[in-house]
Amino acid sequence: MRKIGLFLFILLSLSTGISAQQTFPVNGVINKNHLFYTFTNARIVVDPETIIEKGTLVIKDGWIVAVGEKIEIPKGAVIHDLKGKTIYPALIDPYTNYGMPEIKAVSRGRHPQIESNTKGAYGWNQSVKAEIEANKLFIYNDKLAEELRKMGFGAVLTFHRDGIVRGSAAVVSLGDARENELIIQDQAAAMFSFDKGTSTQDYPSSLMGAIALLRQTYLDADWYKKDNTKKEYNISLEAFNNLQELPQIIETTDKLSALRADKIGDEFKINYIIKGSGNEYQRLDDIKTTNCKFILPINFPSAYDVEDPYDAMNISLAELKHWEMAPANLFAFEKYFIPFALTTSDLKDKKDFYKNLRKAIGYGLSEKQALKALTVTPAELLNLADKLGKLKSGMIANFIITSGNLFDEKTIIYENWIQGNPYKINDYAFVDVRGIYDFSYGKKSITRLKIEGEPEKLKATIVIDTAKIPVTIGLLNNLVSLSFNYRDSIGTIRLSGSITTEPLRISGNGQTREGEWIDWSAVYKSAIIPETKKDSAKKEIPKPGQIIYPFCAYGKPLDDHDGFDKIVNDFKNRYNAILIKHVTVWTNEQEGILKNQDVYITEGRIVRIADNIDASKLAFAKIIDGTGKHLTAGIVDEHSHIAISNGVNEGAQASSAEVRIGDVINSEDINIYRQLSGGVTSAQLLHGSANPIGGQSAIIKLRWGKSPEEMKFEKADGFIKFALGENVKQSNWGDFSTVRFPQSRMGVEQVYYDYFTRAKEYEVKQKAFIALPDKTKAITPPFRRDIELEALVEIVNKKRFITCHSYVQSEINMLLHVADSMGFKVNTFTHILEGYKVADKMKAHGAGASTFSDWWAYKMEVKDAIPYNASLLNQMGVTTAINSDDAEMGRRLNQEAAKGIKYGGMSEEEALKMVTLNPAKLLHVDNRVGSVKVGKDADVVLWSDNPLSVYAKAEKTIIDGLIYYDIEEDKKLREDMQKDRARIIQKMIEEKRGGAAIQKHVHKKQRLYECDSMETNYMEE
Amino acid sequence: MKNLIYIFFFFVIAIATAQPQGTILVGGIAHLGTDSVIQNSVIGIREGKIVLVANELSSYNKTDYAEIINVSGKHIYPGIIAPNSTLGLTEIEAVRATNDFREVGSILPNIRSLIAYNTDSKVIPTIRSNGILMAQITPRGGLVSGTSSILMLDGWNWEDAVYKTDDGIHINWPRMQTRKFLDEDNTELGPYEKNKEYIKQIDELKKLFSDAKAYSQVEKPEEKNLRLESMKGLFNGTQTVFIHADYVKEIIEAIYFAKQNMLKVAIVGGKDSWMVTDMLRENNIAVVLSRVHDLPQRSEEDVDLPYKLPYLLQKAGVLFCLNNEGDMEAMGTRNLPFMAGTAAAYGLTKEQALRSITLNTAKILGIDKTAGSIEVGKDATLFISTGDALDMRTNNIEKAYIKGNSIDLNNDQKILYEKYKKKYGLK
Repeated sequence: MRKIGLFLFILLSLSTGISAQQTFPVNGVINKNHLFYTFTNARIVVDPETIIEKGTLVIKDGWIVAVGEKIEIPKGAVIHDLKGKTIYPALIDPYTNYGMPEIKAVSRGRHPQIESNTKGAYGWNQSVKAEIEANKLFIYNDKLAEELRKMGFGAVLTFHRDGIVRGSAAVVSLGDARENELIIQDQAAAMFSFDKGTSTQDYPSSLMGAIALLRQTYLDADWYKKDNTKKEYNISLEAFNNLQELPQIIETTDKLSALRADKIGDEFKINYIIKGSGNEYQRLDDIKTTNCKFILPINFPSAYDVEDPYDAMNISLAELKHWEMAPANLFAFEKYFIPFALTTSDLKDKKDFYKNLRKAIGYGLSEKQALKALTVTPAELLNLADKLGKLKSGMIANFIITSGNLFDEKTIIYENWIQGNPYKINDYAFVDVRGIYDFSYGKKSITRLKIEGEPEKLKATIVIDTAKIPVTIGLLNNLVSLSFNYRDSIGTIRLSGSITTEPLRISGNGQTREGEWIDWSAVYKSAIIPETKKDSAKKEIPKPGQIIYPFCAYGKPLDDHDGFDKIVNDFKNRYNAILIKHVTVWTNEQEGILKNQDVYITEGRIVRIADNIDASKLAFAKIIDGTGKHLTAGIVDEHSHIAISNGVNEGAQASSAEVRIGDVINSEDINIYRQLSGGVTSAQLLHGSANPIGGQSAIIKLRWGKSPEEMKFEKADGFIKFALGENVKQSNWGDFSTVRFPQSRMGVEQVYYDYFTRAKEYEVKQKAFIALPDKTKAITPPFRRDIELEALVEIVNKKRFITCHSYVQSEINMLLHVADSMGFKVNTFTHILEGYKVADKMKAHGAGASTFSDWWAYKMEVKDAIPYNASLLNQMGVTTAINSDDAEMGRRLNQEAAKGIKYGGMSEEEALKMVTLNPAKLLHVDNRVGSVKVGKDADVVLWSDNPLSVYAKAEKTIIDGLIYYDIEEDKKLREDMQKDRARIIQKMIEEKRGGAAIQKHVHKKQRLYECDSMETNYMEE
Repeated sequence: MKNLIYIFFFFVIAIATAQPQGTILVGGIAHLGTDSVIQNSVIGIREGKIVLVANELSSYNKTDYAEIINVSGKHIYPGIIAPNSTLGLTEIEAVRATNDFREVGSILPNIRSLIAYNTDSKVIPTIRSNGILMAQITPRGGLVSGTSSILMLDGWNWEDAVYKTDDGIHINWPRMQTRKFLDEDNTELGPYEKNKEYIKQIDELKKLFSDAKAYSQVEKPEEKNLRLESMKGLFNGTQTVFIHADYVKEIIEAIYFAKQNMLKVAIVGGKDSWMVTDMLRENNIAVVLSRVHDLPQRSEEDVDLPYKLPYLLQKAGVLFCLNNEGDMEAMGTRNLPFMAGTAAAYGLTKEQALRSITLNTAKILGIDKTAGSIEVGKDATLFISTGDALDMRTNNIEKAYIKGNSIDLNNDQKILYEKYKKKYGLK
């Protein structure tokens, strides 16, 4: 053992001796020594798993030479006796912007900016900054370094936090030296996000656009790498390829975005390290399945101002619950065995670091895990486990010396050694002055002085009976100064003194307000016993309430008593089978409306519809009495923009076929529940109408509580939004939106011809390339995959279908011509308010219509819109639906359908089909939903009355045979929610009385999307 | 004496030429707007007024009427009144040139909606044909938006369409929380923030009203002030202040403001009004309730709160009526009866629901002596529907009268419908 140690000495002294040469000239005499520094008799935490109770640490030239119980101290070593003290590896923050230049927000011009503003041979998008290298930008920053050193950090990852691709990060030490000596790893990680940062270029203008940009960039980089001809030289792609070998870190701002990042990772075979946001506990099962490692923040929301009940109403349940549960996030990760490192980066005040860490430990996080997340894990994530994170020979001499357990409130960090250089934090002679003292000054008799708080931030008070007088306290080494206003005096009494120990005593002189000199003394009497901890002698993990799915109002807890236990089956509380008795069934089939029927549902399907089904044999089924009630197929909303995160339009370019609503489904949108209460069971979530070729839509079932992926309608065909008219030519976007093509209906046609021509050529080339023999392929320039054109190729090949926003007959006619001549079909015209004028042409083409019941007069192109439109189209044999395009109307689609009776005299059955069977047909899901038919999905609604009546209410909304909305359960949810809110509010008030920080609430109102909603700051939503 | 002779002659002539006059509607189900329904009704209309409201079995003389209309099995309703509306002030929302409901500035009591009201708006006939026969035409924007007037939805010009000139002044109560635009194009709204200008704006309002009150007592002002001049009616009880406020604290503030100034006040909007019903009732303050077909303001609120808000106010004894301010409000006014229908589905009786778009509205607008219900002596402003007019499934207006005149129920949309039916050979 000893021999090995010595051998290492020699080896290391040699190697470090060589590396100590330098290029810089020195002004004066070189002040370098190659001494050994030894630290003896210390408790050494080698790593979270290994502790040497009494050991020695030897370092030389910034490197650890030996660690162990019995280490021979080399001759001529500087010896530090650390009896009673503890050495920890210095902490590592894997996510900082330390030493980076300030990022200045650049104001966008008033005109659209279509191209990148970055001059030079860079890529096309300004937010792809792959060429940025943190090591080249890094400049030592004394203030920030000191702040982090005081907390015990020795090295950090730092990067330029700007853009979607942010280039490479460097690992730097927090020492005070020339930058050349501080950079530990120049290319340590590749950095990504979904936030375009200071880029002034319009694209991407939405989260789904950011995701598409990242995906296309991966494909472009791959193509670029393989292309030997290099006809295009591209700095950004060149740099992007160079990043690929590094650890890949992506920043997310929400649990759902973490899942989104993982999805991209899966596509390109990258296992991202995800910088989390702190709310991952809200969907931990899904987070777990990403198999990603995380970097987690340690900031928790502070309590809100809730004393005023009216103001408190504006604080959402999600915000209240998050306040209560956020400190349990780290514990949840530990419990689920998801690896994570910690970062201070999101802390507003870095001083909260230990306080919050202790809070997390109080919520169940183990100290071992906490230490691991600050040392070993970040080192591993950054592939620096051989250099940082532990105290082992051969590693960088980054360590801290403390008075005891790092996570203990009373512990003091004395020194932080970085690359072998000491940074003093607190004097070894530091005396913990916190406690209760007998205090006297001048002629005043003895009172009590209380000194408490963090060593950095002491707080003192004089206590006389129940009165408390605040005292300003200053402490420097052994010198103490106090000043205060005594209750019967107007001026300030100022005292200065020094500390003597054993027994602890502070004494000295001072001046009264009149300038008279007096003596004073404070004699230590006892330690402060924290009031709150009095009762809880045994450490109890606070119960932070229940997780609800989704994590917002009307979310429901699963069968989950412990908070984070994995749910095997959340159907436990639900019925596997339902029998509805004596109900009027609107079949939407040839049978029409059947009275007094029994409907049996099980395993997600409609199994039987009959006059009388014997309930006695179906003991396990939930029996619902349907007497006087009506059962219909669930409502299908062909045109909806609910449940979408951060932008519904990627409108910066004439085509955005590459973006996918499916990437940004927001499972936590309260409007899902609200629409369930109106009988909606499925919806097509559409891209907006900002451009002629919009994005790909997502068809979902409104499975409230499920994750975004689980909400998707299984095996549904792919759809895409097209749009015509005023929105795509930006007529109503203000006087500056006159740049982007097209600006007229004439231009819209050309967009289609251009894109479809290119898409067809693309397909031909792609097929030809794929068909090449392998040998030829190897010497042929590679084929560049284009996700935008691929979406269009799918249309031509009838694998993706168009829903086209349209109003005026001329443009409808135009698109029919384009489609016929280019060989594709328009599946559905949506809005289509002048459809009645060209119903015959639509019928001939085979296009369907999804329209509003009675909207008009909101813009020029709807001047001729009439409420008889749906009826006329229907009579002309066009498959016609009535849709919402509006979160409010989406929950009254039955009423909107009923307008078909008023305007144009539809039969009631036909009117109901406008919102059930017909939209199901338009979405190609009529084999699954849209009618009450044996074998179809049990997506049905039980109504209190004729479903077309204004007086009807949806009482139960059933999807896949499961009751997702129940008018009775709804009452209970409201009560539970009120109780939960009240409970948390009480807790919050208590915590505030205990002196916790508070925040004023800013009432966030949810943005509702319609077709022409545009985001410019999509990350701020 | 000479005069008496004239009168005598007049009588003689009148009797001599006594002919049947007016119209009688026989056999309809009359929903009076007063919560009462007469199943087999007779309703007599003469010289623009309702002269008879009775059961068919009661004694009346059909032959007194020139026109006898059999409406048996059909429903008769008082004309629906749309309060707080921009009808006639806008044609196509997105086309700036067609919008006349907002003026520059923030204190504009002297701005009058009446004179901008376009009787020939293509939107109006589509509203009328759903039973809405009167509207309070109201300017928008600013702290004091301006002065509204009540118009009949039929007329050659605003002068002959007006029902009550300058009936009220509209205040948008300052928001305690405001939202700022995040971008330069003013399209992107940020989160709610505390309005730092709130106190200043309230003081501005207070000063305006105390100045106006003092001014109203000066017989001959040294210099005429158009703003203060336009507010005189507030202090002699001929005008109402309509305070637009939704947030509960703003409503409370508005109520105190009204009390202090001894004004005749109605709250417009009142999304949170259900929390302060006692206060509203005790101070006799009515609510022109925000759109029933709306989403709850807060995600925690009852999912059906906007639907049942009318019921909550009814139950608490607060006078209220329904309005349709918001997105696409002018064209959407035709759905006002269906909002009442929804309110009926969520707690109100159907007759209470009807009242909330007829008699209650008339009361709040101060025209209930002559409008808002089917009662003898009131204006014959009413309509006939083949079915329940509050349900879109059955709402089908066959005939409508404004002040006894049968009005044209055709509109451009129906014309286009007929045109294209003909094109396709449909029946």
